[in-house]
Amino acid sequence: MVETFTSAVCGSRARQRLAIALFAVAAILASAALGATLGLVGGLIGTRTALIGAAALAFLAFLRETGMVRLPVPQSRRQVPERWQYQLPLPLWSTGYGAGLGVGFLTFQPVATFWVACAAALALGRPILAAGCFAFYGAGRAFMATWPRRREPSGPAAVEKLVGRASLVPRANAVVLALAVVLLAVAPAAGAAVTSLGRGFDPAADGGTLARARMDSGTVRVLVNPPDPDPTDTFSPATSPALDGDYLAYEDDQGIKVINWRDGSPLVQLDGPYSSPALKLPLLAYIRDDGAYERLILADLSNPGNPTERKITSVRSAADLGRPALRGGRLAWHRIVRGGSSINVLNLATDEQRVIKRTHVWMESNPSVTAQRIIWVEHRPQGSYLRMRWFGSKRTKTLTHVNGRQTFLWTTAVTGRTAYVTKWTPSTRKSVVLRVNF
Amino acid sequence: MRRPEGFLDGAARALSTRLASGMTRRSFLGRMGGAMLAATGGAAVAAAVRPEKSEAFHFCGHIWTTGSCPNPLGLPRIDKSGFPLRPSDGHPIDNLGRPVNGDGWPVDGSGKRLRGPDGEFLPRAPRTRICEEWTNEHYGLDAVMEGAWYRCCSGQVRKLVDCCSYSKKRINGDASLTGYCFNGRRVFCVMYYDSGLQC
Repeated sequence: MVETFTSAVCGSRARQRLAIALFAVAAILASAALGATLGLVGGLIGTRTALIGAAALAFLAFLRETGMVRLPVPQSRRQVPERWQYQLPLPLWSTGYGAGLGVGFLTFQPVATFWVACAAALALGRPILAAGCFAFYGAGRAFMATWPRRREPSGPAAVEKLVGRASLVPRANAVVLALAVVLLAVAPAAGAAVTSLGRGFDPAADGGTLARARMDSGTVRVLVNPPDPDPTDTFSPATSPALDGDYLAYEDDQGIKVINWRDGSPLVQLDGPYSSPALKLPLLAYIRDDGAYERLILADLSNPGNPTERKITSVRSAADLGRPALRGGRLAWHRIVRGGSSINVLNLATDEQRVIKRTHVWMESNPSVTAQRIIWVEHRPQGSYLRMRWFGSKRTKTLTHVNGRQTFLWTTAVTGRTAYVTKWTPSTRKSVVLRVNF
Repeated sequence: MRRPEGFLDGAARALSTRLASGMTRRSFLGRMGGAMLAATGGAAVAAAVRPEKSEAFHFCGHIWTTGSCPNPLGLPRIDKSGFPLRPSDGHPIDNLGRPVNGDGWPVDGSGKRLRGPDGEFLPRAPRTRICEEWTNEHYGLDAVMEGAWYRCCSGQVRKLVDCCSYSKKRINGDASLTGYCFNGRRVFCVMYYDSGLQC
């Protein structure tokens, strides 16, 4: 490319600049698209598997680059088609060259690092972040098309100088790969990436919007954090939020309210001993405490003035049904009695009820669901564990955990491949919301 | 701070020394047997009292053979019905190891019910029997609490209880013994109940 993007080949200095700009943009976009695709695939296959694969691949690549083992690398021996610059208009061939080199695998790769980066993007499991990281690969391609000629007007001479330093590449590459092995091996994605989002509890999530309750000066309020740049909306006194798009359900002294959180307009108000709403319009699930019994109710708000109600289950008041979850055509709840606990799911389309986990020993609590997955917290004497299971699978995965009995995990929320969980320390009365990307 | 088992073991050693130096074997057994009879009023239980020495310690009163049943806090201390107690002081605990009040609600050190971040009371966790629920769920057995024998620990009569199953293996992983189990069952793991009766 150094020899291609000259004013002689392009026709003038202005056309040379245009070609370089188009090449750079195309290379960055193409590599970002590759990163996004890999991140998306990684999200589907599971980051733990991809992470182990990436670490193993990085180690093999390290051995290869240091010459300890001889390993073939998936390789296309082709170069960008030279005829394009004679047959196609300059904007097309420069863009095509950029896109071809930006995606990486269409042309010759002298080192194995590209494939390690692909595996790492898979392990990331997040398309946007992977796209951002991979865009640097395209930027690097563009950089190397111009930088060697900064003090050398002759393209061939610049290439000759570059070739003279080629022996440095495998050594530098080996160092980078060794670092990658270490970083991938200790990456938080080995379990899942956990980030504290600050004070709060009872998270509720829908897409990029997160609601949570927070205790401020003895008053419980609900905060809604939409994507930037919108400000945070606050509702007080309110607790136990549930989100569905622009609608927020919460519990207050009177019962349950459902409002449009963007403009504050009310949709439904249920006055009475109601608590712990879960919202997926037109359905609203909540707990009704009749004194002797706690009942899980599923209400249909299609006619907000006259909602229809259906009792799903009930327990004596000494037992607990917790905070139900409603998403993806499923209603989930926990049932904690003296003799054990269980996580239950009702498929609203088929009316089939399933027990996801039942135990006579531990405390299984606070489930959240999407169409594909269910997460919940398992409490044991040793600590509490955020568990996840695909519907259709019997395998349970632990997303994160806290040790000991001083601090424990509590209420949850899940959207896409992001889980939220309350971490609560009773002795200090401190609660924070954790985000867990898996 | 000393670990509960260290405390118990230390107390048991001290007791053994005191007993050995200040009491004949016959007088010790007589006193303990009398206490048991007073406590239970049953000849059947008295028959279970065996004159044996406490040697190497598993926990006080039990030689280190069959291991402890799974339990919340490391030592299988139970109440008379087989529910878990805190080993250090015998306070009832739930399956998460938290102290609970008489109704099973989790409480703090001063006996006040624990509250969640929203100020509401925390729900009760399960509180189930160490042998019939804990052991059976962990090991997929049909174990029941059966035979028992008695020792003097920390100045009180301790009832040592076998958790018995038809498994040929015990919790240690090796062959199980008949112990005080019956109907073909064998000892899978052991628990203890401190009676509070002086010995």
